[in-house]
Amino acid sequence: MLGIIRRDLMLVWHNKRERFFIIFYIPFLLLILESYEPSWLYLTILVAYTYLLSIIPFSYDIKGKSQYIINSLPITRKEIVFYKYLSTFVYLAVIIVYAGVYLWIINRMGIKTVDYFDLEMIKESIPIIMILTSIVYPAYFSFEPKIAQIIHVIVFVTFFIGIASLGSLGDKSIVSNMEFLSGRGMIYAPIAMYIISLFLSMRLYKNRDL
Amino acid sequence: MDYILEVKDLRKEFKNFTIDDISFKLEPGYIMGFIGPNGAGKSTTIKLIMNLLKKDGGEIKIFGKDHVKYEKEIKDRIGFVYDENYYYEDLTINQMKSIVAPFYSRWDNNQFNYYIKEFDLNPRVKIKTLSKGMKMKFSLAIALSHHADLIIMDEPTSGLDPVFRREILDILYNIIQDDTKSIFFSTHITTDLEKIADYITFINEGKVVFSKSKDEILESYAIVKGGTDLLDENTRKQFIGLRETKVGFEGLTDNLNNIKSTFGNKVLIEKASLEDIMVYSVRGKEYVRDY
Repeated sequence: MLGIIRRDLMLVWHNKRERFFIIFYIPFLLLILESYEPSWLYLTILVAYTYLLSIIPFSYDIKGKSQYIINSLPITRKEIVFYKYLSTFVYLAVIIVYAGVYLWIINRMGIKTVDYFDLEMIKESIPIIMILTSIVYPAYFSFEPKIAQIIHVIVFVTFFIGIASLGSLGDKSIVSNMEFLSGRGMIYAPIAMYIISLFLSMRLYKNRDL
Repeated sequence: MDYILEVKDLRKEFKNFTIDDISFKLEPGYIMGFIGPNGAGKSTTIKLIMNLLKKDGGEIKIFGKDHVKYEKEIKDRIGFVYDENYYYEDLTINQMKSIVAPFYSRWDNNQFNYYIKEFDLNPRVKIKTLSKGMKMKFSLAIALSHHADLIIMDEPTSGLDPVFRREILDILYNIIQDDTKSIFFSTHITTDLEKIADYITFINEGKVVFSKSKDEILESYAIVKGGTDLLDENTRKQFIGLRETKVGFEGLTDNLNNIKSTFGNKVLIEKASLEDIMVYSVRGKEYVRDY
């Protein structure tokens, strides 16, 4: 698993475009979502970064057949899929630290008042990340990279439209906006969806011609 | 007999192409060349062996074990070199190595550093800045740095200059001095195989034409040269492939006795090269006149 995570992080960090994105996406979000409350911004950053960090490494398969390399190494396809699903939570942990430090610096410098650690929002972000990746991972594991890329863009844009709609409700508290995420169903539904998605991806990837 | 690689009745269907009942065997300590024209199915067969493509039928055993069931264990003992660079271009040689190395149980950093130095590669440069030859050297360094027992290579020498091609061949020759290791490599540069291969498997249009020892092949085929006046409908049938010009004909045969009894000493008989065998077998009787 460490091998897969190391690969993903190296790919993101050593590509100029991705590095630029990692560094400047937080200020970009702070700028365009200026009017929204701090906890909502924090949630958006956590979800967007974790989701994109999980998905970006797949984009390398579009440019070349880099999946030939990973699949020629001593690792089974089931393991590749399983580690990918597991790594989502590792990326969330990485982003909590990264965004925390980044936002804390922004706070300290007095540029903007933003949350840099909010346990409630971390809890809220997990089901959203699980739902988004549950849809997109099987697409990458079963379709041609270009088709998967289209599905990814649709999912990501839908997420942004959805979250922007919630943010635009104004003074209402973020917690009440997110009430639909706090029921018991919203604990089990994303977990079930994620597990079903995992097994679906394993099955689809196992039989796929690369 | 334990074979290091055994392919039996391998079948894979595509929309416009089929790999049809491919079979061959490779013993430890030998080099097998896999030849055929472009589009014959060489790369597809290699991808099937590496389980990058899913077979529709047949059996592939590596180190005596099913290549899917024991995939991880098997791939730990395989070194691979593909026809193109599939490594991540934005990473440096060292970074790519640090991704690949932890996957192998017998990764040898000293060996890797030795090859990097031997191949004159700078480990700090990005892969995208390397020339084709340099990329191939890097792939080879990775393939040779985890004590693999089977090296599988897809067109490793294509596009490389003769000096480096010879260098690669020497390295491969040294590897199989260890009797437990084998090399399987596809190429259409048949002169490379004449230098180092022990066995040749020739495929055309997804089917095996032959899979034999190189010596057996070179002994059983011959090039026949003579005047066009010797050719008629019946004598033409005795050739696998034939080229006719204004001044005479040149044909490939695998039945020298028949040729001798038909033409006596009116024809000149020469040894066939692997290239002759491949070209005439592929073009066959369709390629009859060249004037």
